Amino acid sequence: MYEIPLITADNFITYALNGLSRGMIIFLVASGLSLIFGLIGLINFAHGAMLALGGYGTYIVIQATGNFWLGLVISVVLVTVLGYVLERKVLYWLYDEPLLGFLGTFGLGLVIEEALAVYFGSRSYTIPSPLPESIELLGVTYPSYRLFVILVGAIVALGIGLLLTRTRLGLEIHATANRQPTAEILGVDTARIYTITFVLGTALAALAGALTAPITSMYPTIGLDYITMAFLVIIVGGMGSFKGSFVVSMIVGQVIAFGWLLTAPTYVRILIFAAAMVFILYKPRGFFGKPEVHE
Amino acid sequence: MSDRMAEIREFARGRARRPLFVLGALLLLVVPILAPSQSSLATEALIFGLFAISVDIVLGYAGLLTLAPAAFFGLGAYSVAKVIVDFEQSFWLGFPVAIILALILAFIVGYVPIKRRIGDVYFVLFTLAFGAIAYDFTFVTTSVTGGSDGLGFFSPPEVLGIDLGDGLPYYYFTLLVVAAFSFGLYVLIKSDYGDVLTATRQNELRMRYLGYDTNRELMIAWLVSAAISAIAGAVYVGSIGIASPSLISFALTGDVIIWIIVGGTGTLLGPFAAAIGLVFMQEVLQSIWLEGYRLLLGILFVVFVFALPDGLMGLIRGEE
Repeated sequence: MYEIPLITADNFITYALNGLSRGMIIFLVASGLSLIFGLIGLINFAHGAMLALGGYGTYIVIQATGNFWLGLVISVVLVTVLGYVLERKVLYWLYDEPLLGFLGTFGLGLVIEEALAVYFGSRSYTIPSPLPESIELLGVTYPSYRLFVILVGAIVALGIGLLLTRTRLGLEIHATANRQPTAEILGVDTARIYTITFVLGTALAALAGALTAPITSMYPTIGLDYITMAFLVIIVGGMGSFKGSFVVSMIVGQVIAFGWLLTAPTYVRILIFAAAMVFILYKPRGFFGKPEVHE
Repeated sequence: MSDRMAEIREFARGRARRPLFVLGALLLLVVPILAPSQSSLATEALIFGLFAISVDIVLGYAGLLTLAPAAFFGLGAYSVAKVIVDFEQSFWLGFPVAIILALILAFIVGYVPIKRRIGDVYFVLFTLAFGAIAYDFTFVTTSVTGGSDGLGFFSPPEVLGIDLGDGLPYYYFTLLVVAAFSFGLYVLIKSDYGDVLTATRQNELRMRYLGYDTNRELMIAWLVSAAISAIAGAVYVGSIGIASPSLISFALTGDVIIWIIVGGTGTLLGPFAAAIGLVFMQEVLQSIWLEGYRLLLGILFVVFVFALPDGLMGLIRGEE
């Protein structure tokens, strides 16, 4: 029999904050994927490689300058540019063929990950935390870097949420996702919308990679673990639903943070994947997906 | 230039077709005699050839892109290892066990998604989740699967005084199994059933109006594919003597997909030949540039997806 460990109030808060910071990273990955998948219908398997590039890019700049924040900005910008080039020059051709799109991005992801493995070797790297001190919060001492991650995640969630619901661009993205030909006729430059969405999604992946680097160690295939989880998050949350990916990411973060108290972490992962399989079968639009999005 | 291409194409399809087949078959027969040190590599290549064909039945003919073929390959491998190591039964008992378990698992996993016709994109994600679960499961159920240590070591038995544990006899055993099942799949695909499957991929709705139970047809392809993947896994574990989680990993799934795309989806010969060719190429490249061979493999795959999505067989057959 498992013994359920006693949790003190302090532990409880620590676990909850751990779950929150982990959930935020998952959310950054999942929201990027969700934008790309919800709008373009592309299963972007290169997303994980973009995350890895974000992490390794930060590492390189830290080696050169010793400044994490500079590394964060530079790697996100560079990966974003790469995303732009890829979308304009390569992926653009694959939008009408979902399976070919999957294969193409799978191949590109493989190339990027293997290039990282050749250059850095397959061993894992760690980055020292840029904010090593801890703060007192709600009666517990908690690493300030993780609080920073939570803050960034919350700002990004709010920012993109507002972008999608309150701006002209958000309206055009929704219109393109729902009825691409109609949006085109009404004067929306849908090719541009596709590009913006893809680039935005890629930037979020790179940001997630750079932010997670000081928390977990980096290895070339780090992205695969994240995107498997993220794909399932966006299914449960509802394809193309930004709110859905946020809520489900938070839930998954908490489940991972508290789940290991009851059972092994791998069982928690299995449980989450199994839940996602059930969702794919019986509720493919998830909790928050609207029927008209991504037909 | 294109005239020359067309000429070569015509040559390979017409006059040279039979001789090329005979040459290929002869090559497979004499490889371990010509290069005895390579017989274990040749065994591996043959097995992966069969594995590639079995997955292509689902991917190329039924049009279902699955990301979980390694789960069935691994199931076959673990069944044999489990039967020998933990239950101390015969090597041969492992094969029916592998087939039956694969059929049961494939039925459980495939029944609802095929019945509900969840669509290509969702099928990819569904099998991605299933593959991830299968891999994680192998790690955590240490008492059943040995966890990260795997189940080993053992060697295949003697048959009629020949020790199958030797490299050379095992190669011919593998060749026999692979030839039998590949031929079986060839017959299946050339039969009416193959046409039904192809038609279902192209226009499922019309096939339903014509009175075909397309769910049943897809299910058959899915089950056959799973069973033969499991057999490939079972033969494979006999050659290496240990079942380990790497046989279920996503990396293996990725390799199979690469072999199929490079060889040509929806052809049997293409993926078979590509798997064998790439396994040998990998061995050569590994000795030249150990870290980089998978990078080259990835680049090759990307080139095929974008420039030659019909693969090598598409190149030979041309536009049809």
